[in-house]
Amino acid sequence: MKSPVFRHSSAGSSGTMRHLWIAAFVVAPVLMLPRASFAHDIPNDVTVQAFVKPAGEHLNLLLRVPLNAMRDTEFPERGPGYLDLERVDSSLREAASVWLADAIELDEDNVRLPSPRIVDVRASLPSDKSFASYDEALAHVAGPRLTNHVQVYWNQVMLDVLFEYPIHSDQSRFSIHPGLARLGLQVITALRFIPTNGTVRAFEFVGDPGLVRLDPHWYQAALNFVKLGFFHILDGTDHLLFLFCLVIPFRSLRKLIPVVTSFTVAHSITLIASAYNLAPDFLWFPPLIETLIAISIVYMALENIVGGVGVQRRWMITFGFGLVHGFGFSFALRQTLQFAGSHLLASLLSFNVGVELGQLLVLVLLIPLLHLFFRFAVAERTGTIILSALVAHTGWHWMIDRGERLRQFPFAWPLLTDAMLASAMHWLMVVLIIGGLVWFLAKHWPLKFPLGQPSPRDPLQMDSTRIGAVANSLETEPGGKI
Amino acid sequence: MKRNLYIGIAFVTVVIGLGAGSILLEKRAAVEAAGTQAPRFEVDPMWPKPLPNHWLLGMTIGVSVDAQDHIWIIHRGASLERMENYLAANPPASECCMAAPPVLEFDEEGNLIGHWGGPGQGYDWPVSNHGITVDYKGNVWIGGNGRGTQVAPPTQAAALNESQPGGGPFNDNMVLKFTQDGKFLMQIGHPGQSKGSNDLENLKGPAKMFVDKDTNELYVADGYGNHRIIVFDADTGKYKRHWGAYGHKPDDISLGPYNPDAPPAPQFRNPVHCTELANDGLLYVCDRVNDRIQVFKKDGTFVKEAIIAKRTLGDGSVWDIAFSKDPQQKYIFLADGSNEKVYIIVRDTLEILTSFGDGGRQPGEFYAVHSIATDSKGNIFTTETYRGQRVQKFVYKGMAPVTKKDQGVVWPKKAS
Repeated sequence: MKSPVFRHSSAGSSGTMRHLWIAAFVVAPVLMLPRASFAHDIPNDVTVQAFVKPAGEHLNLLLRVPLNAMRDTEFPERGPGYLDLERVDSSLREAASVWLADAIELDEDNVRLPSPRIVDVRASLPSDKSFASYDEALAHVAGPRLTNHVQVYWNQVMLDVLFEYPIHSDQSRFSIHPGLARLGLQVITALRFIPTNGTVRAFEFVGDPGLVRLDPHWYQAALNFVKLGFFHILDGTDHLLFLFCLVIPFRSLRKLIPVVTSFTVAHSITLIASAYNLAPDFLWFPPLIETLIAISIVYMALENIVGGVGVQRRWMITFGFGLVHGFGFSFALRQTLQFAGSHLLASLLSFNVGVELGQLLVLVLLIPLLHLFFRFAVAERTGTIILSALVAHTGWHWMIDRGERLRQFPFAWPLLTDAMLASAMHWLMVVLIIGGLVWFLAKHWPLKFPLGQPSPRDPLQMDSTRIGAVANSLETEPGGKI
Repeated sequence: MKRNLYIGIAFVTVVIGLGAGSILLEKRAAVEAAGTQAPRFEVDPMWPKPLPNHWLLGMTIGVSVDAQDHIWIIHRGASLERMENYLAANPPASECCMAAPPVLEFDEEGNLIGHWGGPGQGYDWPVSNHGITVDYKGNVWIGGNGRGTQVAPPTQAAALNESQPGGGPFNDNMVLKFTQDGKFLMQIGHPGQSKGSNDLENLKGPAKMFVDKDTNELYVADGYGNHRIIVFDADTGKYKRHWGAYGHKPDDISLGPYNPDAPPAPQFRNPVHCTELANDGLLYVCDRVNDRIQVFKKDGTFVKEAIIAKRTLGDGSVWDIAFSKDPQQKYIFLADGSNEKVYIIVRDTLEILTSFGDGGRQPGEFYAVHSIATDSKGNIFTTETYRGQRVQKFVYKGMAPVTKKDQGVVWPKKAS
């Protein structure tokens, strides 16, 4: 979240006389020179519009940037600060070169392209709409210039520029690193890539996104999303705490397989559904999911403490919570799906692979740590209760905080329209089919998985008949001890 | 085995039934959707984000959206209660609160990113701010409707009367033009100098402005004291033309109170409260207390009018309008600060399709909804005067069949 930064006020500011004299002393020599604007505050919020279009042996990069983001360039002024539109071209070219061309890296098949040629520049009014499409923007940059009949304050003008890069082929794969973050405190770049097949691929970056592959191979997209998934799970404290809760009573990878698989399958379903716009479009949906995630942590922690049948059938409840966490993942992924190119499904699956790898790493680290903890620090049952209580405490606070945010959206039943009923029936059908499949699998392959029995060391959680069964299964587990 | 067979058959039957049912309902929904449709909105209760510095908004009497989708509002700090200004007392009487600067700029997420305003050298800041417009060059225009003088700010009781702030003759007979940083550029008119509805140099309580990008002409809804639309060159401030209701020459003869059963008034009543130019060159004017929109060509030729909520007395029903953001500007959104709703009107026919909002202080409700504007994504922003004193965002949720004349409060709910 950006904290507000405030511009200096001209209207209504009341400086002291001393400040005025100092200012007059400093400014006087400057006023003797031709009028020009100098360095100004860093703008809070800069939006850059861009088109990238390869055609034949050159690639066009069209950019529109607010002039007030070009802070150290002098632009000729007239009157009270109006841009001198008839003398501004050389300043615009300089600004385009220093602030844009030097900051943007374009690669063709992973080879950096040479510096571009500035084909043309234009000063435009802020209300100009020609960057709605590539063709209009191109025509605008080649079209007539604004003249001094137009009085427009210099820092309310937009710079439009057409860069041309030499390329070997318009069929190559291009990447861009738009290093434009220094233009403002928050810089949003809305970029549209237009390959030769005419389709338009839209990107939106906040700040510096690093190298962006405009048309990635499937394996490049996949690798990117594996990384995203891996680091997302490691960054997500709430997902990690949930995982921690899962692990406490099951401290062996083999026994965790059904639980983690159930979690994975469930979050994959909702993550993919969200990516294909099947998720609900409530304004209050994200805070609801965040609250449910906190509830899932509290539930799991309490279940660890209470023990019993719930722990033994953990894979079932984990499936339900997995659905919720999948929506949570989708919120994180929403802004990054643009990097999938034409490989949406592959990217989603790769994100899941990344999430699983992250989970696996966490499990591999946690399991021995827990073993050591229970062996040397505190008795297992006591330790389970203490650790789970700590997690429940954190989850409880999250639940309250997030619930408070959710409460900002008073609930109203949506209108029961035909479209809504149809949608509800669709979803019910999907849930039934999935439920039926799960039931069928569980019924016909019930003994293939140990279905998440907790550690046999904990007699409070097991009845005597189950202990025997688990002990038998553990005998086959390498390194398993009773 | 037999039991499993029965379960299987029941399961398949239910799944097929659900599938068939959803297909049928989808078909019916498609037919329904082909009927009358209107843009649908949901209030965003999380917008804007909290103001810093313990700042409060007073009567919030103007909103405009610039080309970068930044939202600009203007408000009256002087309309706050004494206890709301404890932080500004000398010495401060408590940790909270004080009036925010008059002009505030928000980004799309609702972060406050700029602020300025107030009296300064070279211009006459209004006694009572009224209306804000960011023009096609990014300049910021401000009107006013104050009486009395700047030295003696309006008393609280007077300030709470939005139509007649302060007392005595009109002071605010000017509009001001600033850059987005608050640098003063131009003033048209002078305080206390108005000679009435045919004065070519001064205004009288100008309520709202619009700049035509094709001709660079400034249209002013003039206003709280005059009964006209007046046009100036937006760069030089040179007078171009003016006219009253039906394109007549305006006069200042008292029309008496509005009577819904009387024939339409031949002149605008005070205040002439908004003026908005559509892309097709038609100019829409809010004749607030006469409960009507009048439509003109750019030269002042009368085209048509529509009466809205005819039986509304007091402050009237037609406070401010904004157009939908489709290129044809198919819809008008009209803020009615008396009946506390926003009407959705077909611009072509001036037919009301539906409305949303209701009186109250919770998100999505209104108290004296005064000004309205739209951004490039079709979202609506409203501000409220009197004791409403806030800005709200209504998120555009696409087109939806019209099922209710009055939708009431538009809570966030599922998109159809």
